[in-house]
Amino acid sequence: MTAAIETKELTKWYGHHARGIIDVDLVVEAGQIFGFLGPNGAGKSTTIRLLLDLIRPTSGSARVLGLDVRRDRLEIDRRTSYVPGELSLYSDLTGRQLLTYLGNLQGKVDADYREKLIERLELDPAKKIKSMSRGNKQKVGLVAAFMIRPDLLILDEPTAGLDPFVQLEFEHLCEEVRTDGRTVFISSHQLPEVEHLCDRVGIIREGRLLAVEAISTLKERALRKLEIDFGGPVKAEAFANLPGVRDLSINGQVLSCTVMGSVDALVKAASRFEVVNLRSMETSLEEIFLAYYGTGDDAAKEAGHAAA
Amino acid sequence: MLLRNVFTKTVRDLRWPTFWISLGMAGMTGYFAVLFPTYSKIFNISDMLKKMGDAGKLFGVTGDATTLAGFLHIELFSMILPALMVVLVAGMASGFTAGEESRGTIDILLSYPISRRRMVLEKVLAVTLAAFAAAIAVWVFGLLGAAASATALPADNLAAALLMLVLLGLAFGAVALAIAAATGNRAASIGAAVGLLVVMYLVDAVSNIVDGLRTVQPLSLFHYYMGGDPLRNGVSLADAGVLSAVAIVFLAVALIAFERRDLAA
Ligand SMILES: Nc1ncnc2c1ncn2[C@@H]1O[C@H](COP(=O)(O)OP(=O)(O)OP(=O)(O)O)[C@@H](O)[C@H]1O
Ligand SMILES: [Mg+2]
Repeated sequence: MTAAIETKELTKWYGHHARGIIDVDLVVEAGQIFGFLGPNGAGKSTTIRLLLDLIRPTSGSARVLGLDVRRDRLEIDRRTSYVPGELSLYSDLTGRQLLTYLGNLQGKVDADYREKLIERLELDPAKKIKSMSRGNKQKVGLVAAFMIRPDLLILDEPTAGLDPFVQLEFEHLCEEVRTDGRTVFISSHQLPEVEHLCDRVGIIREGRLLAVEAISTLKERALRKLEIDFGGPVKAEAFANLPGVRDLSINGQVLSCTVMGSVDALVKAASRFEVVNLRSMETSLEEIFLAYYGTGDDAAKEAGHAAA
Repeated sequence: MLLRNVFTKTVRDLRWPTFWISLGMAGMTGYFAVLFPTYSKIFNISDMLKKMGDAGKLFGVTGDATTLAGFLHIELFSMILPALMVVLVAGMASGFTAGEESRGTIDILLSYPISRRRMVLEKVLAVTLAAFAAAIAVWVFGLLGAAASATALPADNLAAALLMLVLLGLAFGAVALAIAAATGNRAASIGAAVGLLVVMYLVDAVSNIVDGLRTVQPLSLFHYYMGGDPLRNGVSLADAGVLSAVAIVFLAVALIAFERRDLAA
């Protein structure tokens, strides 16, 4: 099966000194929701605009839906949709006029589906774009992107400005796209915003792709701090060599440790004693990411050295 | 429905500025055509021209003002109409790529199955239509005015002069488009087109007075626009060819430059 997105050593310099992205090798399999994460200026929008052929790479290449981003542009445009990070729409049109225009540019649009989307996102399409709030404009962009039922949606920070209700509806829409076997590519600043939605995430920092991981893998690596209060004294030997358990210490009737992955073995060992209380503190995926790939400062330094 | 494609959307965007500028151009023409007999009775125009001499030439006052055609040439076709036409066409053309870029709508537009070249060509088609619409309005008002004052005005020669006017507008429009497409800078594009208009106007006007400058006169597009006196002689194919060629060459430059560039976010 061809990848939805595949880049090879994709590099963009704006002029000689301004770094866009450097040697990005990214593969996004079809049928996934993929999160593209990175702080401000990391190169998310640069990568996306290269995929859309709005800017041209300094070196390297990119394919979308197995097609060359330059040569097969129109075929890609027919099968993908895009919501830019800084969304600008023709402000003298109403929402409905804009959707009509964009639908006509696309060719055929399922009008019933469009109306359903307008309803689900609670968009008032009779308003002029220029009198819409940021979130409402964003909704217009999202309706336009979803209404053509593309094979790939490329969404640059799509949830900025959306209220929680619309955000939830947006997530449902993404999940429906995945159920159809189609692909969603979402950029974001924050892992918590997309971790429950995405199958995989890639993290980009200082123009370099640092890692791509399945959310499930990250969750397996999730570290939990556990504390167990017992009804009486316990022996340390009973908890020796449990898989995934680290930093074990017993202090009177209280056991504390860190567990990576499943807590099954630890809980079974503890069940031989009287358990009074059990406290679990999960570290966020964000922390895991940072633990694996260094803090911002370190990564920045590394990237700086590598570029020099 | 004006939201069918880029061409019709551009027609929609241009309809009001085109309407107002056309109305201005046509209104002035009709006004002069209606009042021409009165004017020529009150003032002896030919005498005035002789008195003005070279100074008059600088303001486009050349030729024969005893006919309505000659009068329109002096009063309108030498300066006001070309200025308005260039403002109309070049002003619009400068916004085609640079306007979409600076407003940020280019990202969305080009994410639909429309090539950069097609986008530009559809918009160029729309502005060409606008230029012809303005010319037709002038033609209609001019002939109506002439009929109202019972003055002779050859319809074919007026059409010929208006064709040259359209071609002049398209040539300057293509220059503006090329600059906008290559730089993404709308202000630079308009500035350069208007600057060029003024310089070329002066080169042409001054060359009519100073004999030494005759050799540089062909560098000015104005030379091809009214040089053959289309209001009297009809279309000069050679002159029309030069203006068309300039328009086509700069359109090609615009297409190539726009195709190669990184577009502004
Ligand atoms: N047109 C440009 N000219 C020069 N530098 C640019 C240009 N566009 C982007 N950059 C630089 O490229 C780098 C990556 O920018 P990009 O917009 O891709 O980041 P981003 O990850 O989308 O950030 P954000 O989260 O703020 O949207 C930044 O350092 C930015 O300053
Ligand atoms: Mg961005």
